[in-house]
Amino acid sequence: MTIFEKIADEVQKGNSETVETMVKEALSSDVSVEKILNEGLVAGMNIIGEKFKNNECFIPEVLVSAKAMTLGLEILKPLLAESNIKSRGKVVIGTIQGDLHDIGKNIVAMLLQGAGFEVIDLGADVPIDRFVESAKNEKADIVGMSALLTTTMINMKTVINELKEAGLRDDVKVMVGGAPVTQDYAVQIEADGYAPDAASGVDVARKLLNV
Amino acid sequence: MEPGNIPILVVEEDTIPLAYEKAIRDVWEKGISIRTEYDHPEDPPSKDATVMIAVREPFGQPRFHRSFADGLGGLAEYVMEVVHGAHDYWVKPMEEILKGTESKDTRWTYTYHGRLFEYVIEDRVVNQINYLIEKLSNTGYTRRAQAITWNPKLDPPTEDPPCLQRVWGRLCEDGEGGFVFNMNTHWRSRDLFKAWFENVIAITTLMRKIAEAISEKTGKRIRPGRYVDISDSLHIYGSYFREIQGDPEKGIKSFFEKLESRSFEERTWHSSFVKPFFIDDGVGKGLRPMLKREKEMPKTVRKAVEEELKKMEEDDYVV
Repeated sequence: MTIFEKIADEVQKGNSETVETMVKEALSSDVSVEKILNEGLVAGMNIIGEKFKNNECFIPEVLVSAKAMTLGLEILKPLLAESNIKSRGKVVIGTIQGDLHDIGKNIVAMLLQGAGFEVIDLGADVPIDRFVESAKNEKADIVGMSALLTTTMINMKTVINELKEAGLRDDVKVMVGGAPVTQDYAVQIEADGYAPDAASGVDVARKLLNV
Repeated sequence: MEPGNIPILVVEEDTIPLAYEKAIRDVWEKGISIRTEYDHPEDPPSKDATVMIAVREPFGQPRFHRSFADGLGGLAEYVMEVVHGAHDYWVKPMEEILKGTESKDTRWTYTYHGRLFEYVIEDRVVNQINYLIEKLSNTGYTRRAQAITWNPKLDPPTEDPPCLQRVWGRLCEDGEGGFVFNMNTHWRSRDLFKAWFENVIAITTLMRKIAEAISEKTGKRIRPGRYVDISDSLHIYGSYFREIQGDPEKGIKSFFEKLESRSFEERTWHSSFVKPFFIDDGVGKGLRPMLKREKEMPKTVRKAVEEELKKMEEDDYVV
């Protein structure tokens, strides 16, 4: 087993401390940062994402693995910036205004990060303006919105309208999801993608950006 | 059971995860197929039963099942919501609640903590948990130590009225000079697959707090005993059937295959594993991130959460 495989394995098991130690170990033995990221941390999280999609692991396990990946990523971040490694795309994500539910959004954010996307997580109950500002300031490739209530999902349409008004709509894809949201609703509000569940969020993002 | 009668199921197990798995299997196999207000038109009818679940050792290990609809940090925040009122400030004003489904305010209509610790009736605010502690401290064998949540003025017009209805408790001698705090909870309606487990972790934590408070008040040794959980309607929503049944054609496992593919140890966690995630799950949830993120949390509540965090950071504290 290579050090990368070991890191991937420990990410899957959610052993944060071991991942931290191994990432530091790998760095001290002069292996490439990109390999530690892609063949270790991202590979481990990708396997968890696949398992989640195939109903082979539980939601809390995804987040336990995400902690391990995040801690490893924190160590690599300064080096990644120096190496100018490109992500698969930048996603600004959040739960829509008025909605405090964020578990689905959190899982999608973690799986996207694990799949090599750069994720700007705006949190829950995100004001409409903030989606637009972040999409603009971060030069996002995708804006992802989640809602759990029928009373709040209508705000998704407003965000899309505001993105149009700000002249950003042609540069950014919009994906939506959440319990009351349907494919029909996504089409109706002119979103580009709809994820019926958290597990399929990564597939939708990949498809939207052709990566 | 004759057609038209809701099945009555009884589950009795040593620990919370064992009871949880048995209840899911039983409701799935023996529950009646019936519609709920939350089913989408395209969903199959939900599986439903009246169920009594008894857990002999609610703090027995492993205490945590891995199947629930949140992360461990999110669960910790929910425990703080129920036990310390961390999200009571998310409840909308009374005049908005009374508008029922006409209200445009998307804040909540209640929290369990709010109803149990600050029940509003005829312009009075009643701390029912305090009453329960007082009553049991004075007369341990009383049958009157209970707290309710339902508010007949506020709840009927709302979209999501409280599921938990009543908490009841009684002390019994343990034969060794101490007492056992027995607690029952009664629930109107319950999402077994995605809410039961988190509800029970929070409510048994409250159970332990009550036992500790009675102990402090009386100077007697009081330990949490068996926990009994009664639901009029314990259900598995039709919208979850895809997850429960899987999709063999797409290689998606059923929930029961997922359980069977692992040992019991591999589908549960001990409190010792969970505790660091309760403190900070590393992805934005847990007590530390919650205190940092929720700046509007009232000071007294913040203090209670901080104290809970301090206890968790001590070695011998069991979550």
